[in-house]
Amino acid sequence: MQIPIGSYVPGDSAVHRADPRAKLLVTFFLVAALFTLKSWYLIVALCTVMMLVCVIARINVRTFLRMLKPVLWIGAFTLIVNSFSFVGGFHFILPGFMRGMFFVVRLFVVMGSTALITLTTSPVALTDGIAIMMRPLARLRVPVEDVAMMISIGIRFIPTIAEEIDRIILAQTARGATFNEGSLLKRARAWIPVLIPLFVGLFRRADALARSMDARCYTGIGRTHLRELKLKLSDVALMVVSGLLFVLIVGGVIR
Amino acid sequence: MKSQSRTRVMVTVAMLGAVSYILAFFEFQLPIFPSFLKLDVSDIPSLIAAFAFGPLAGIAVEFFKNALQLLSTTTAGIGELANFCIGSAFVATAGLIYKRKHTRSGALISCIVGAIVMAIVGALFNYFVLLALYEKFMPIDQIIAMAAAFFPAIKTKLDLVLWSIIPFNLVKGFVVILITMFIYKPLSPILKGDHVAQNDGM
Repeated sequence: MQIPIGSYVPGDSAVHRADPRAKLLVTFFLVAALFTLKSWYLIVALCTVMMLVCVIARINVRTFLRMLKPVLWIGAFTLIVNSFSFVGGFHFILPGFMRGMFFVVRLFVVMGSTALITLTTSPVALTDGIAIMMRPLARLRVPVEDVAMMISIGIRFIPTIAEEIDRIILAQTARGATFNEGSLLKRARAWIPVLIPLFVGLFRRADALARSMDARCYTGIGRTHLRELKLKLSDVALMVVSGLLFVLIVGGVIR
Repeated sequence: MKSQSRTRVMVTVAMLGAVSYILAFFEFQLPIFPSFLKLDVSDIPSLIAAFAFGPLAGIAVEFFKNALQLLSTTTAGIGELANFCIGSAFVATAGLIYKRKHTRSGALISCIVGAIVMAIVGALFNYFVLLALYEKFMPIDQIIAMAAAFFPAIKTKLDLVLWSIIPFNLVKGFVVILITMFIYKPLSPILKGDHVAQNDGM
């Protein structure tokens, strides 16, 4: 079984190359602004910006829409709930429909822009970016470096563990086990002979990795990176401009 | 107990997070419940961690599962936040009680109390956070009116939560407890680090 890690689609566009920290910050400003604004002009403007970024990043429309599929139902539901009255007779309300559309566009931009980051940034770069942004928390004794290391271990071992699960499921199927049949109870119990060997293997693997890390004197302090993140002038400009726009929108100067 | 080195706990927790992430892909639909409430067994690794290394480790596994899911979020992180809070409530409670009562029945009691706490926290979280967020997108009164057409018992926002989230979390808790009780015993010697480390292919 193929387990996807993140939804990164490799590419070489300006959006892909931008620093993950800049992308995270810009998206944060965008989402925060979306929750405060009330005018159609602004929301359409922000939606246009998002679409433009999609075009620059050369994101396949299908891939993008597939990411938004879970939201599709919520969006459709929102629209229906808003545009029809269920209290005292069933009828269509136009202002309700417009309000519903507003909600749907807002939802679309919020989900779309976060999906856009994960589409254009590799999981490792994203982890590094978040880890650097969280570094001030180290002052509050939060083990930021360790957490970043652990996420990296997670990313590294997902394919290995998925392969192992596959192998165990196949082995148990060969012995006559079934997984997608019977009552809830039966299905739940089918997992037991998979999970026990999985966990035994996992603890051994973890033991071995921990020993080899200890042997190399891992302490979690002062780790160096193979690829250092460096902010370019364009990244800084991006952050400053989006920050300014955010302040202007939230402050009600632009409406 | 043998070498519970810091690195060992760290690596094990990270890997359990990865397992949890993978298990979340094997989700199955429950009858009656709406489609966004899907059942999966991804809380088992965090429960095991909570039993083996204490409640904090359990919370950590929940954190890493959701951190990994965040890399492909389709709900702008809200779904991940909800899953983290609700899952943590379950495993932290179970881990805390098991710490006091280190027996098989202690494990069972801790899980049951954990599931109840999970149901309560789930209801609170849905009521105060998720419904508040949904209100940014849709009028809740309308949804309640619609739900009331199918289930006359639903009259307020609170009823909505009580009749969907609590039963769902209790069923989920029940399935997770059932599986964990069966796999915990054979695993406990390994968890406690008593086993002779065998040579293995890393």
